[in-house]
Amino acid sequence: MKNPYLPAAAKIERIVTETEDRSIKSFDLSFMNKADQEDFRFVPGQFAEISITGKGEAPFGIASSPTEKGFLKFSVNKAGVVTTALHNLEEGEIVGVRGPLGNCYPIEAFEKRNVVIVSGGFAFTTLRSLTRYILHDENRGRFKNITVIYGARTPGLLLYKDELEEWEERDDLDLHVTIDTAAEGWKGKVGFVPAITKDVAPSSDDAYVLVCGPPIMIKFTIPVLQELGFPSENIILSLEMRMKCGIGMCGRCNIGSQYVCKDGPVFTLAQLSELPGEY
Amino acid sequence: MGDSSKQIREAARKLFEENKVDLIIGFEDGSLPLRATPCFIRRGEDAERLVWNSFCENNLATYLPKKKGKTGIVAKGCDSRSIVGFLKEKQIERENLVIIGVPCEGMIDRKAVEERLGEREILSVEEGPEEIVVKGTDYEEKMKKEDLLPESCRICTHRNPVLYDVLIGEALEEQKVADPFELIREFEGRTAEERWAYFCGETEKCIRCYACRNACPICYCEACYVDSSEPQWFGKSIESTDTMIFHIVRAFHTTGRCVDCGACIRACPMDVDLRFLNKKIEKDVLELFSFEAGEDPDEPPPLTTYKQDDPEEFIK
Amino acid sequence: MEEKTIRKDNLMSLLADLTGSCQVLAPVRKGNSIVFEEILTGDEIHLSEYNTRKSVKEVFFPQRERLFAYRGQETREPSPPDKERIVFGVRPCDARSLSLLDFVFDGEDFKDPYYCSKRDNTTVIAIGCSRPMRTCFCTDTGGDPFSLEGADVLLIDMGETYFVLPVTQRGEGFLQGKSGFERAEQDQIQRKEEIIEKARESVGSDLNIERIKSVLDSDFDNPLWETVHEKCLGCGVCTFLCPTCHCFDILDEGDSNQGERIRIWDSCMFPLFTLHASGTNPRPGGKERMRQRILHKFKYFVDNHNRVACTGCGRCIRACPVNLDIREVLEDIQNPE
Repeated sequence: MKNPYLPAAAKIERIVTETEDRSIKSFDLSFMNKADQEDFRFVPGQFAEISITGKGEAPFGIASSPTEKGFLKFSVNKAGVVTTALHNLEEGEIVGVRGPLGNCYPIEAFEKRNVVIVSGGFAFTTLRSLTRYILHDENRGRFKNITVIYGARTPGLLLYKDELEEWEERDDLDLHVTIDTAAEGWKGKVGFVPAITKDVAPSSDDAYVLVCGPPIMIKFTIPVLQELGFPSENIILSLEMRMKCGIGMCGRCNIGSQYVCKDGPVFTLAQLSELPGEY
Repeated sequence: MGDSSKQIREAARKLFEENKVDLIIGFEDGSLPLRATPCFIRRGEDAERLVWNSFCENNLATYLPKKKGKTGIVAKGCDSRSIVGFLKEKQIERENLVIIGVPCEGMIDRKAVEERLGEREILSVEEGPEEIVVKGTDYEEKMKKEDLLPESCRICTHRNPVLYDVLIGEALEEQKVADPFELIREFEGRTAEERWAYFCGETEKCIRCYACRNACPICYCEACYVDSSEPQWFGKSIESTDTMIFHIVRAFHTTGRCVDCGACIRACPMDVDLRFLNKKIEKDVLELFSFEAGEDPDEPPPLTTYKQDDPEEFIK
Repeated sequence: MEEKTIRKDNLMSLLADLTGSCQVLAPVRKGNSIVFEEILTGDEIHLSEYNTRKSVKEVFFPQRERLFAYRGQETREPSPPDKERIVFGVRPCDARSLSLLDFVFDGEDFKDPYYCSKRDNTTVIAIGCSRPMRTCFCTDTGGDPFSLEGADVLLIDMGETYFVLPVTQRGEGFLQGKSGFERAEQDQIQRKEEIIEKARESVGSDLNIERIKSVLDSDFDNPLWETVHEKCLGCGVCTFLCPTCHCFDILDEGDSNQGERIRIWDSCMFPLFTLHASGTNPRPGGKERMRQRILHKFKYFVDNHNRVACTGCGRCIRACPVNLDIREVLEDIQNPE
């Protein structure tokens, strides 16, 4: 029986400080063991528990796409014991990875349809995974129009700035990057994500929309999307919860009868409206 | 007893009628023999539920620190001393409190009753002025209440509430206890190995449920040291050294504040002797600082005050 | 499977003999409480009307359990149990709780190797309750004083002898080749039926679990939740003594060079249970936590596994420091004023 509590050793290949306030760093990890590398087959939307012996574990959405071979990318916000320890590590050090865990974005449902991605702050991680997956040469043809609306408080707090620049150049993707209030040197859109979403008004025709962001952003974006005609079954969210085991046994991450680690973290708005509102 | 129940109900009704309280915390009949249970009433009509008997063992003061508005509370002597502690530590405002003080002859130790019955289930208990009658499926036994007092009640010298707005019934004559620390002195007389063995035996039973801490009124910290993660002071598991630290530190955190109400030892599901550390510290505080917790809300706590003549034999 | 009987003294000798080759656990008196412990001679066994203080779950899901030790990047899992185990004297409510815990730890998607290896190497010998206590309500939760669920063998106390019902293959195997077991006679079978009937009649209340579930289905914002938690101290007594509560925490003890990752029992009643690193807490107070406890046991577990996560053992009722009686909570849900 495979022990689901044992982390697999992974080396930190690269660390990138994403945000100007240094609160978020991205870690590219590669498994020490080829067998672990091969076993780790994941779909965008899933997460893994990163383990630092002596400190503990914490769950992080997988930011890299399965199409990016040889490494896994995680973007980590420094908030508590484990994340602080992770931020203090250097390239070359070893951590543990347990996963892939959770359910995933329902990619088959998106085929031949339009996909809209609305995100804010550092919730963009698993959506980077999804976007890269869709944009990959092998996959792009399976989907119709892709719209990405991504915002942060200031330009310095945007994640994956290099990638955003790359994506601006592409014509098979409609990218709208925004910041909350005007800043010096910023030539892009200015405005809160819900407002920009309203402006861009992506068509809800034959489309799915994924929403990931801080609770306040989600709260104001959902009505905009509903007004644009997106049905609740087509509005997809990814939730965060305090987790420990990640496999639905320790009992702490449930919302109603659903465990966010096992039955989620991806839920449709329709599914969430069946659950109690304690999250 | 029955009379006290009536008086408490009347007092409660009056307080609601006169709009003096938003909430009264008292006791009502429990769902099991030998139990009364805390009850929270917000209307005069519910005053009927209030009772007073020798099963009213909980220290209701533990519910006070977070209460908003005007709260009435049924308080025994020890409970009122906990309230004095809150006033001293500025956890509640005196004007928001109406204390229904009840002179108390001691509560019945359920564990003592169970011990006397072996493992025969108790189906009903009737309380009289001096005795209780305990009945099971095939037995009936009378027991004297004075034989069933827990240690903290046996040596109690504060049967009357030290602070109150309404007094139920007549004040009782306070007991004269020759040496409230008799058992502690006996314990101090044992060898270090014997004392250590006792401590190990007790901590082995602990399951870190924190019933003791949560039942204790004076443990009101929202962020308890147990839960600190940065830094983490000690382990959370039932590993014996971690459990020992929990009990030792809790005893020190309640130094000069514990009134020996016995709530901790009654709450413990595993029969851990929780009083001996606290009682020893209480003795030390009395001897070193001539201080008794829960007497006078204006008297400064001993560990936060400095006096010129504080004992300092440890400085050589 | 054939019903048998065995004289009590013969069974005790059998258990004592088995300590040579197996680890035999049974209720043992420790001070004022009765707990499951390993026995060596059989004299330690203490059976009584009262159930054990702590439930049998700790035999399969210990309060503190090492997941693995680490040194540098090497991890070492604990070795699997080497000896067969027998747990004797388990009440049917506790035996049933094992089948409920199986849903959690031996699920379709993930299996917990620590729990599963213990389940796989342990024979559960249950003893039915001829004299249920007033705090027992097993029949309300779908159980029974003589339930077979979760047991490998069920014994029924007939005075000088036990009536022996093998339940599973494993239970049948336990009886194989061991002396002392005799075929049950007709009059013994008759008496057994009478004992069972009498016990069944004496348990249970007016609680209707289906009705309660349907109320819980629709009323997350039931005003009842405002008051039901008020006297609760927020300690972990009910959850730790409960045979079906399974929440745990995972911690590292040691430093970055060496130590162990352990799991320990945790409780949904503790304030830190759902606290996010950001400081938000979806269950900030006693109200939300009590609601979670009741809903998890009587609705969510039913939604997921069609079973109530409570076996009516009554430990929480007897041990709660403030006499918060779960039966009263359920009655209030079932019959709102």
